[in-house]
Amino acid sequence: MLETLLQLFVSGILAGGIYALMSVGLTLVFGVLRVVNFAHGEYMMLAMYFTFWLFTQLSVDPYVAILIVLPAAWLFGIATEWLLIRRTLDAPHIAQVFVTLALSVLLQNLALLFWTADFRSIFVPYASSVVEIGPVLVTWSRLINFIIAIVTAAAVGAMLKYTYTGMAIRATAQDRRSARLMGVNVDRIYSMTFALGSALVALAGVLVMPLFPVNPFSGGEFILVAFVVVVLGGMGSLLGAVVAGLAIGVIEAFAAFYLGSEVKQLVYFLFFVVVLLVMPAGLFGKRGAEVMDVT
Amino acid sequence: MTISTSASSTAREWADLYWIVPGTVACLAFIATVRDPFALDILVTTLLWAAAASAWNLSGGYAGQLSIGHAAYFGIGAYTSTYLLLTYGLSPWIGMLIGAALAALTALGIGALTVRLRGSFFVMATLAFGAIAHIVAAIWRSVTGGSNGLSIPFEPSFARMVFADKQSFAILALALLLIVVGTVLLIERSKLGASLVAYREDDAAARALGVRTLRARLIAIMISALFTGICGTLHAQYTLYIDPDSVTGLSFSLQVALICIVGGVGTLSGPILGAALIIPLASLLRGALSSSGSGLHLVVYAVMVIMVLLALPEGIGPSLMRRVRAARGK
Repeated sequence: MLETLLQLFVSGILAGGIYALMSVGLTLVFGVLRVVNFAHGEYMMLAMYFTFWLFTQLSVDPYVAILIVLPAAWLFGIATEWLLIRRTLDAPHIAQVFVTLALSVLLQNLALLFWTADFRSIFVPYASSVVEIGPVLVTWSRLINFIIAIVTAAAVGAMLKYTYTGMAIRATAQDRRSARLMGVNVDRIYSMTFALGSALVALAGVLVMPLFPVNPFSGGEFILVAFVVVVLGGMGSLLGAVVAGLAIGVIEAFAAFYLGSEVKQLVYFLFFVVVLLVMPAGLFGKRGAEVMDVT
Repeated sequence: MTISTSASSTAREWADLYWIVPGTVACLAFIATVRDPFALDILVTTLLWAAAASAWNLSGGYAGQLSIGHAAYFGIGAYTSTYLLLTYGLSPWIGMLIGAALAALTALGIGALTVRLRGSFFVMATLAFGAIAHIVAAIWRSVTGGSNGLSIPFEPSFARMVFADKQSFAILALALLLIVVGTVLLIERSKLGASLVAYREDDAAARALGVRTLRARLIAIMISALFTGICGTLHAQYTLYIDPDSVTGLSFSLQVALICIVGGVGTLSGPILGAALIIPLASLLRGALSSSGSGLHLVVYAVMVIMVLLALPEGIGPSLMRRVRAARGK
């Protein structure tokens, strides 16, 4: 009994690391640009397909693929920020919301066009090899994914805290006009932040590719989890995204075990609604953001 | 939009009739003369989407509450009438009203829970409620049939709201659209409409002036859900098959909103113009491009929506109107 609980807890934490990584990019973009990127999940889906393609066509190992997929995602992020997001920053709120929603429809259907609706997966022999930690069994790849995710999130946190660029990003998040007056190139910060957000979610995509099959609508499913995580952690809070990501991972693992995998999604959406209603600022967010017009 | 109070604008008060009446006559003429089932199918689909988009517009457009969870109300309408028909043999005409009432009650609950949320937080909360509706539809098998869906037997009779010809259904859809448009027209000219716009533009100022914006928003979202539920029943009776993806999927919620945005959000004619542009285009594209792979028509459609959002953020209708007025030198 205790072993089952421990096993569930550990699996949940490991899955939660990936959720945290997906959500860090989303929350960062929201914190700095004040835009919710509803197409965030599609960036992950594209990264998964890219990894799949590299593996099947050029037999590039997924962990090596990181070196190719991440720069590509960074460039893709810069392109979308420049083509779409920048043009809606001063537009009515409705245009901001629906430009990224339309982008997600566009990317989903482009993927459908190129790769059809079939699920694609890759097989790497080490994906299922198991390591025993005391009474708990974990697969190597999940453990390594978790470590990469947490180290990356910590590195982003350190970058924000200690580097000059990080300080400029935080200054822009706090008050874009004052940041500009202090000589921060706000447009460049927007572009960089969006690119960083895309690269982070792409990393999550590469890491899960050996474990989960991908189809054009995978992004939509992952993004819903990321929303739950980001709101629970507090929109714009990096630490919040990590803590909430791990928490959602654990909740999901227990719900899936005790209630069945169909009901588990229901559980975390109900949880999401409760969080939005009871503490809309989340665990670490600024109070009042949810009632302000965050445009 | 026009919320006119001065006496000089009586002409403008009735200006909408200049397109509603000819539009209705044109639809009736189309129904009376055209026999091509493909063309009639496009008409029925367009009319149903126009009605659903007008219903969304009431709360999403006038009050600016950008819901992407309206599929919940559409699904409640579709499943309620279909379940009652299949299980108890209840006529969909009555099931439609029960479904609409349930949708309105659900909207009251969701509305009351989300009143404090604004901006992106409101959008995400409605996304979550839409997702909950989809999951419930997928797992509540005894009522919804799960992912197998529910089929309505093809036995044409007025009481069962199943018709052998598409003309009857086109008239039904046209009647629904006229009822929705009439309701929105009345609300637009009423104190309720003014309160909704006041909320959208500046809630604090409106409340300081004594406008009961909360009450207005709840009424708007309930009426919006009520009509969305009725559209759900009509959709079920027209296609004779419903499943979680078709009636509670995110694509419905997005489509009603995007139709309004393309046509002109927060205007009476916007949703109809949007539906008249998008639905025939989508049907024709689907027909023309289906051989070259599924999804291409949605690609074209998404690109169009993005271009409208970036170039004409008010929507096609209002942007055109402004140019016409400017050309007239008014």
